[in-house]
Amino acid sequence: MNNQNGLWKRFTSGLSVIGFTPFGLVLMILLALLPFIPPFNQEYILRWLIMGAFLAAQAVAFDFTAGYISVVNFGFAAILGLGAYTSAILVNTSPVIKVQLGLSPWISIWVGALVAGLVGLGLGILTLRLRGIFAAVMAWFVGIALMGLVRNLTGLTRGPLGMNPSSFLETTSNRPYFYIILAMLLVVYISLKLVTRSHFGLAFKAIGQNFDAARASGINPTYYRVFNFTLSAFFAGWLGGFYAHYFGSLTPQTLMHTSKTVEVLALAYIGGRGSLWGGMFIAFPFVFGIEALRTSLPSDWAGFHLVIYGVLMILVMIFYPAGFSGIYDWARAKLASLFSRSKTQEQEV
Amino acid sequence: MERTVTHPSFFNRLSMTVQTHLPATIVLGFSVLLAVVIGVKTGPAQLINVIVTGGMWALLAAGLALVFGVMNIPHFAHGESFMIGSYVGYFVFTALNNHLKENPNAVLGLLAPNIGVIAALFVGAVVGAILERLIFAPLRRRTRAGWVMNTFLLTVGLSFVLVNGTTLVLGPNFRGIPRYYDVPPIEFLGVRIAVDRVWAFGIALITIAVLAFFLQRTRTGRAIRAVSQDETGAELVGINIGFIHTLTFSLATATAAMAGAALLFMFQAYPTVGLKPLYFAWYVVMLVGLGNVYGAVIGGFIVALLQTATQQFIGIAWEDVVPTVVMIIILILVPSGIFGSEVKGIQEQ
Repeated sequence: MNNQNGLWKRFTSGLSVIGFTPFGLVLMILLALLPFIPPFNQEYILRWLIMGAFLAAQAVAFDFTAGYISVVNFGFAAILGLGAYTSAILVNTSPVIKVQLGLSPWISIWVGALVAGLVGLGLGILTLRLRGIFAAVMAWFVGIALMGLVRNLTGLTRGPLGMNPSSFLETTSNRPYFYIILAMLLVVYISLKLVTRSHFGLAFKAIGQNFDAARASGINPTYYRVFNFTLSAFFAGWLGGFYAHYFGSLTPQTLMHTSKTVEVLALAYIGGRGSLWGGMFIAFPFVFGIEALRTSLPSDWAGFHLVIYGVLMILVMIFYPAGFSGIYDWARAKLASLFSRSKTQEQEV
Repeated sequence: MERTVTHPSFFNRLSMTVQTHLPATIVLGFSVLLAVVIGVKTGPAQLINVIVTGGMWALLAAGLALVFGVMNIPHFAHGESFMIGSYVGYFVFTALNNHLKENPNAVLGLLAPNIGVIAALFVGAVVGAILERLIFAPLRRRTRAGWVMNTFLLTVGLSFVLVNGTTLVLGPNFRGIPRYYDVPPIEFLGVRIAVDRVWAFGIALITIAVLAFFLQRTRTGRAIRAVSQDETGAELVGINIGFIHTLTFSLATATAAMAGAALLFMFQAYPTVGLKPLYFAWYVVMLVGLGNVYGAVIGGFIVALLQTATQQFIGIAWEDVVPTVVMIIILILVPSGIFGSEVKGIQEQ
């Protein structure tokens, strides 16, 4: 009995290193099996699942900056778009644009991620002296400039006409893509979780909560902030590569616009700042709820789901800033206190 | 013994002023240079364009600066106030115009655009007051921690809701008018200027003058300035802080709505019309320093100059890229703006 308990403890502590509770692991396995369970194996629902996983991974990468070092990266979508465009340009073979390298998408998404990471490094250095709102506005301006560049360098990107990069696979089925994005989501989540569980996470939180106090206690804010930005941007660019080679259509407006950042931001905030998993978890029910709402709406109600999106974000920000992960922590604490009380009562008896 | 008192010469004083206001001097000097270059290269027509556009950016940026100065809210939904104004202007003016077609009336014809602008002013004031009571007042009562960043994200959500709500109710189509005054353009310095532009500039100028008079000379205006300087002190001398906040937000929304109605002949009414005015108003406030209302008036013209120069010498597609890059440089070198700003709470994380 004791031995079993020890094994279980070791298992759960091992899981928690990569950021999962046993319950979370069960959910993740369930998610991985979903494409084979009847109502979810239809192609359009698979697309929703892919969209959910894509948004979830973005929310994790976004929360890594916003929730830990408290700098809202307002150019997030532009950096993601930069990764997508880099990857799309590298795989291009048609003569409509100047570069025809024809790389494999499996290689080019890494190049896209590296380029995005480099821009993240630059953005991290640019925002170093700035705090709070100034850093957010700086990131916003950099995002606008990047979007303007992509729009205007028509020789490389075809500007507002958009690009149609080739896909990862030749299949028209969505199921393989779901596993690709699920794997990407897991890589993003686990690697960022590992970073935040190390001393880096502590340093990030310290900088985010009180910049001066953190510096006074010997944390080098320069190093940690730039590192954080670079890593977050790297993953954003990588996810952008998935977008390019799954949806197969890129325009500056649909990919790099500030409103795309706002969608991710809303998700990360509703999920709960500084938890990483909150936004990831909430993305799936959210996409399903929103899509179900959108498809059941009459055509002249188009856009109603976006209004709900925004209203929910405003309500969470005013009345429950801890978000979904806050509710979870509260429920857990309540349960734990219930159990411990019953235990002490037993002992008394 | 005779002591000689040396008075600083004019040049000494000038050099001291230049040294203490170095960034402002450089930017102003550069602006004058740019204006001369534009004047020589393309003639006075473009300079008049700068003045007309600059007046509107100044009006918008003054509202933005006021909201930041008094309430510490980095207002991201300012462009949506502009959008509300352009819709109100459109509906009122077309209704009046249709009425005028059936029973012509010279006086009403002359007044119709002004009625549209005044209607936008009132609707903007009411909407602003409602939004402040509904969103910012509850948040203020709840928590003041992280106020600047939280309200920034809140206004981001608000902008998202307003844009999508408008799309839902009024549809995504463009509603515009060809011109307000159907009269031939007037001649000035050998340049033909549309009457509408002169009229819009006049409205901007009058509004800024009235705003300045209100802030400097009236009791309520002084109370607003007192709150922006020291909120606790203002409360101690019996100023009703809640009322001042509602009034300030209402004023800012009303002036932006006015600008929207007055510029209807340039910017057609559609849900995302506020984006460009928002960008430019933000360039202005970042240039002169967040919360600096009078600086914003000068900054409006500088940004308009930069915008026109970009259009003339680089291309209209780059008109938001070049100012963005300039603002990024300004943010790196002088984050508190070229005129600086002594606004409370600005260093808050």
